[in-house]
Amino acid sequence: MKRHLLLFLCMISISVFSQELIDSTNVALIDTAITEMQHSGIVLNVCDTPNDDGTSITIKWDINDSLKGYLMDIHRIHGECDTAIALDMNPEKGIHTDNMVHGGTNYMYYALFKKDDIVKKTDNSLPVKAIGQWFNKERFDSFIVLLLIAGAFAWFIYLAKKGKSFYIRKIAGLDAVEEAVGRSTEMGKPIMYLLGIGYVTDIPTIAGLTILGRVAKKAAEYDTRIMVPSYDPVVMTTAQEVVKEAFTEAGRPDAYRKEDTMYITQDQFGYAAGVDGMMMREKPGAIFLQGLFFAESLILAETGYSIGAIQIAGTTETAQLPFFVAACDYTLIGEEMMAASVYLEREPLMLGSIVAEDLIKIIIVFVLIIGFILGLLGHGFKIGFFTDMFEWLVRII
Amino acid sequence: MAISTSIWIWIAALLTLSIYSFLYKDNPFYKFSEKILVGISIGYTVSIYFHNTIIAKVWNPLVHDHNFLVIVPLILGLLMFSRLFKGKAYLSRIPIAFVVGTGCGMSIPSSFENLFKQVQGTMPQVFTIGNIIILIGVLSTLIYFFFSVEHKGIIGKVTRVGITFIMIGFGAAFGATIMARISLFIGRIQFLLGDWLGIIS
Amino acid sequence: MMKIINYLDHIDKRWIYLVLAIAVIFPFLFPIGCPMKITPPVSNMYNYINDSIPEGGVMLVSVDYDPSTMAELHPMGKALITHCFSKNIRVFLMGLYPPGVGLAQDMISNTLEEWNKSNPDNIKILGNDISLFAFVPGVSVVILKMGEDIRGTFNTDAYGNDLDSLPIMAGVNTYNDIDYMVDLAGSSVILSWIIYANGRYNQKMGIGTTAVSMAEYYAYLNSGQANGMLGGLKGAAEYEALLIKNNVSQDRNQASIGMDAQSSGHLTYIIFIIVGNIIYFIKRKKEK
Repeated sequence: MKRHLLLFLCMISISVFSQELIDSTNVALIDTAITEMQHSGIVLNVCDTPNDDGTSITIKWDINDSLKGYLMDIHRIHGECDTAIALDMNPEKGIHTDNMVHGGTNYMYYALFKKDDIVKKTDNSLPVKAIGQWFNKERFDSFIVLLLIAGAFAWFIYLAKKGKSFYIRKIAGLDAVEEAVGRSTEMGKPIMYLLGIGYVTDIPTIAGLTILGRVAKKAAEYDTRIMVPSYDPVVMTTAQEVVKEAFTEAGRPDAYRKEDTMYITQDQFGYAAGVDGMMMREKPGAIFLQGLFFAESLILAETGYSIGAIQIAGTTETAQLPFFVAACDYTLIGEEMMAASVYLEREPLMLGSIVAEDLIKIIIVFVLIIGFILGLLGHGFKIGFFTDMFEWLVRII
Repeated sequence: MAISTSIWIWIAALLTLSIYSFLYKDNPFYKFSEKILVGISIGYTVSIYFHNTIIAKVWNPLVHDHNFLVIVPLILGLLMFSRLFKGKAYLSRIPIAFVVGTGCGMSIPSSFENLFKQVQGTMPQVFTIGNIIILIGVLSTLIYFFFSVEHKGIIGKVTRVGITFIMIGFGAAFGATIMARISLFIGRIQFLLGDWLGIIS
Repeated sequence: MMKIINYLDHIDKRWIYLVLAIAVIFPFLFPIGCPMKITPPVSNMYNYINDSIPEGGVMLVSVDYDPSTMAELHPMGKALITHCFSKNIRVFLMGLYPPGVGLAQDMISNTLEEWNKSNPDNIKILGNDISLFAFVPGVSVVILKMGEDIRGTFNTDAYGNDLDSLPIMAGVNTYNDIDYMVDLAGSSVILSWIIYANGRYNQKMGIGTTAVSMAEYYAYLNSGQANGMLGGLKGAAEYEALLIKNNVSQDRNQASIGMDAQSSGHLTYIIFIIVGNIIYFIKRKKEK
């Protein structure tokens, strides 16, 4: 457990901080050079871009009124090679990043300011090198919060694995799963399971796949056909695995039909049209819409309603939930979907996650209440101390 | 304006009418158009992916630029096809694991940063009725989504406020959708009456 | 009375479709000219583009939708490009999904043709004033990589020209060089832009989305992650109205013309909802 925890934290720290390191062998570099511009008094600051992968150099300058209306070119010098890296820029911008450099190589820069026939040139800067940093210090706060959150998750998952029982409230609509599969079986009609148009990396799709396992197992037990038309090829292959496993678990591997979990298209409305057509032809007795849905949600749910199927929907897309509430028999609202899969399986990993999520929600509720009180006293009643406290809290967040 | 003489406009108009014929009832014209839509969308996507991925990101770097690092993602991509061979299908898990792993690594820290910004945006700096309603709505909705607490007593009352906010939100969203659906229909009517029949300019 | 109520309760829904179709088509033949109020999310975006992007500045428009939501989102893109042309702002278009690239090409050819016809003294040229990046798969990865190196991400434009050879690319390497970006989409890809481009690279951005997804993205205006939003055909019409008011466009455009039909359609829906509810309550009372 400890080794796993350590490895987990190590991976998180790498994902937060890591930047591709190109070349950091030569540490004896000059990372800042300041050059005076001829006749203008403008200072050109050239330095290695901090917290990056070592492939960029930042050039900054302050424009004065005498150069207003000029266009600016920036040139990079490397050995004998003089390259214009920016042409006809608005100098009021004050900053330019050169991303076309190699780490560990010395470069010099100069700028040209042009207006009609007048051209003003700066001196060449001192040599500067780009180096990569292992850690992005700007994201240190994210790292700390991630550690705390990951720690909470790891702790509750650990407790759940140890066998500690956590209370999860019953999700309305879950009982309907069995009822829907049973009714489909009685009517001799297939079941249709739609995972939406999300990808396998989307959390609602993952929750939809978990619930699919449960539904497919029930379907296998009742010997009912289950169809899973998919939008994404990776989701399709994952769904095939899930259904196959569920049929095997139910002791009916022979009843598994790979071709029933099929690919439709990756066009949003092409998918909707394809699935609608299937619904009209196959007339499934129960339709599950569990996953990530967008503008096609009502099209699918309405067609399902028109053929008289029992519909159980669930998505985290707040904009689509109203249509499911209106057109489906049961709807799992947002995170209820995830909780439903936990309620069904009581799998320690997900059980621990749900409890940890509740803890994080409690923290957010408290932060919001504290923020509200500080804001009320600070901005509402104009008490300086609380205004400072509020600003401090906002800055931390 | 006059009726269009372009063959493509005519094809597009007839396909539009075929799809709308579904409103009357399912029919062969709808099925034909539906299959064309699915087929063309796949065909178009494949051709774009072929030219912009296989040619631009694999063939050109390998053959013209001799950038052999491309072989690594190429092999990972090819492993996806192992699903076609019985007994070797397990190899496809390697690229899937790679995609899921990098996807999580990319999205987890950024999602947290997004969450912080949303929390920050919810804390009212100006005390208007709207801001206070937003705050009450966010708090009660968050409490509705507590799963390890039973919805009884004070929590039960707060969650009832929460679900009321959720339903009001759904109502607003439903209204917006009606607007969107009419907009889509308007777009087609403009095409049919303007580009095709030339009745409107 | 009950006979009528029973008839209406079981009315064939195809009659409803027909009434709605007539209600939407009628204003095209006999325009009403409904007044329009400009909402703050739209005026915020307009004002930002108008006042905060310097001449020669750079704007990025990501066309992340397919033909199905074109009716709502295409007019937005055209209005944004026209506005940029009037301010001599360079415009880059891109698509994170294959259909978006095709639609962006259509948008470019239409706006270039219309602009050059009505502004012969300020001709805009593809590659100089407007360009379209080639399609690169990867969505989030593409957004992230643009923060490091735009040229290395796309290599060429959608017409096969090397990006380094295009005059419009002068000084454009990363998000630091893009003054403003607007994502036009009806899906969650907007969230990817907010999380990665705005969250990680502080890219100032606006949202153009379908009316369906509009409610969802208000939260991002409130938090300051986006500074303006065009929602649905109404949002596009408001933007067009601002262009007309400020003499950028002379004629009512696609979205503005559609607003009469939109209002007529809404009115029909409201009548249906009221009638439906009356029938429901009368029947419920009778059943009791």
